[in-house]
Amino acid sequence: MRILRFVLRRLLQLVPVLLGVVVLTFLLVRVLPGDPIRTILGPNATEADAAAARARFGLDRPLWQQFLDYVGGLFTGDFGTSIQSGAPVGSEMALRIGPTMELVVIALAVALVLAVVLGIWSARHAGRFGDHTVRVAALIGNSVPEFWLGLVLVLVGYSVLGWFPAPSGRVDPDTELSLITGADLLDAALTANGPAFVSALEHLALPVATLVIVIVAPLLRSVRASALEVLASEAYTAAAAHGLKDRLLLRGYLVRATLVRLPALAALVFGFSIGSTVLVEYVFSWQGFGQWALRGLLYRDYPVVQASVLVIALFYVVVFLIADVVHAILDPRVRI
Amino acid sequence: MAEASGVREAGADRRFASSLITVGSVILAVVAVAVLFAPLLSSWGPEEIDPLASLAPPGGAHLLGTDLNGMDVWSRVLHAARLDVGIAVAAVALAVVAGSLVGLVAGYRGGWADDVLMRVLDVFQAFPTFILALAVAALLGGGTANLIAVIALVNAPAYARLVRAEVRSIRELPFVEASRTSGSSFWGVLWRHVLPNSLTPVRVIAPLNCGWAMLTLAGLSFLGLGVPLPTAEWGAMISLGSGDVVAGRWWTSVPPGLFLLICVLGFSLLGEGLQERADSTRR
Repeated sequence: MRILRFVLRRLLQLVPVLLGVVVLTFLLVRVLPGDPIRTILGPNATEADAAAARARFGLDRPLWQQFLDYVGGLFTGDFGTSIQSGAPVGSEMALRIGPTMELVVIALAVALVLAVVLGIWSARHAGRFGDHTVRVAALIGNSVPEFWLGLVLVLVGYSVLGWFPAPSGRVDPDTELSLITGADLLDAALTANGPAFVSALEHLALPVATLVIVIVAPLLRSVRASALEVLASEAYTAAAAHGLKDRLLLRGYLVRATLVRLPALAALVFGFSIGSTVLVEYVFSWQGFGQWALRGLLYRDYPVVQASVLVIALFYVVVFLIADVVHAILDPRVRI
Repeated sequence: MAEASGVREAGADRRFASSLITVGSVILAVVAVAVLFAPLLSSWGPEEIDPLASLAPPGGAHLLGTDLNGMDVWSRVLHAARLDVGIAVAAVALAVVAGSLVGLVAGYRGGWADDVLMRVLDVFQAFPTFILALAVAALLGGGTANLIAVIALVNAPAYARLVRAEVRSIRELPFVEASRTSGSSFWGVLWRHVLPNSLTPVRVIAPLNCGWAMLTLAGLSFLGLGVPLPTAEWGAMISLGSGDVVAGRWWTSVPPGLFLLICVLGFSLLGEGLQERADSTRR
């Protein structure tokens, strides 16, 4: 019951934040320079053409009315119509989220496993050569520009070795993969399309490797710090002093206690990786959410900007909320 | 036994911290030399076009070859350090000043001012920092001044929170209380007693933050949201060279990224070392 109240209170705290995001994006995109109508009409359009186009998208109406329309639409799941493509923003966005999630989720899963194994190993060998090597490697991972790393992997993996496909999309179109979720690997598995599955895997390898290298570094540092704290704790020292076997110490005392912090950490890194993903998508022409949102921003496509910014914020705060709840379940002290 | 090994580990930690600080400082010193003497270290100008050489491989007249426009890669990489380091350091300085000020007032005043400022920060922190920078930069447009403002804006909230937390514990301490009751003005107490004592964590975070700021800047430029071409900037150079990579031409995009990496690493090593040293002193 208390956990439910905790969740409800946290959900209520999100309302003003998201309201702020909605108002701020709506105003900023209109106040700052740039006109979406001019970008679709081209340089030869007359004033009358522009006025007609403006009326078609409802941009000639007073600001407060546009705002009420927008917010009203949000409650029915209507994100408006893209000025660039004329298609509903909601369905356009749905197509783009799958590929991006596929990239982020796989990378995060691989990075988590790597970070836990290396972080705990590093903490158990604290102060020795192996530990220092891991830490310097993590520092380098923290300092590498992800878009450049992606290009270097393309250079080596495609241009020099020829092991991986060119950075121009997600899955070979010849495999005739039918679209279900947009996450190619999942779609290929669902439709039992073997060639598409292999092709999707090949295309995923380099962008996922890029993301993993970038996001494993901060995770690794935190896991190591957390494991060091556990190693110094009274509970662990007492267990070790009682002569428990190494395996039991590792599994029962070190790993579990260290992992309590992992949800919060994963949430933080997840948010951080959304930023990196935009750059990685760009390098590999991934045609995912990031590239779509970036195009919307550049062309001042108001509904696309509003929708993508809101969705990212919603996603981000909800991921943090989930992390907090998991943490609260694992560690009852948080719930007060 | 446990204590002896604890002492040994603390010693090793301190030595490791010192070597991190040393290596980081050396890297940054080399970068500083490049920033100061870039024109002397290269025989071509950063925007000078060699009409006879487009995409010339390294060697000969061009140490690291030329890019698509026939501009010398080595010269551009060196000159870009000025802009990249300059913008990053200026942005972090601005973020520290603005963020600390907000944190100081919010933490010391408390009450409604604190509530309002913290709710505003909540909205800013509802985004991953790079996404926020991306959105604001795309809407605001590129250019040096705008980039400094954008990168400062996305980094300032973290400083505000950091300083606010420190201030809230410091304002209750006896020496602050004493200064208040002896009739010092509001700003006098803040400036003389609270501010200097609340900046400790900021000093450790700021160098690390310079590295992140450089990555943010280069990332924005890579997406075409940074400084206009043909200004020498690492992210923009990598972007221009990204097409060459598929054709196996490494020299237009690998060197600028490598320099960026080394430079960010310098800041990271320094920051990590400072943090480690602060931690081991506290223990």
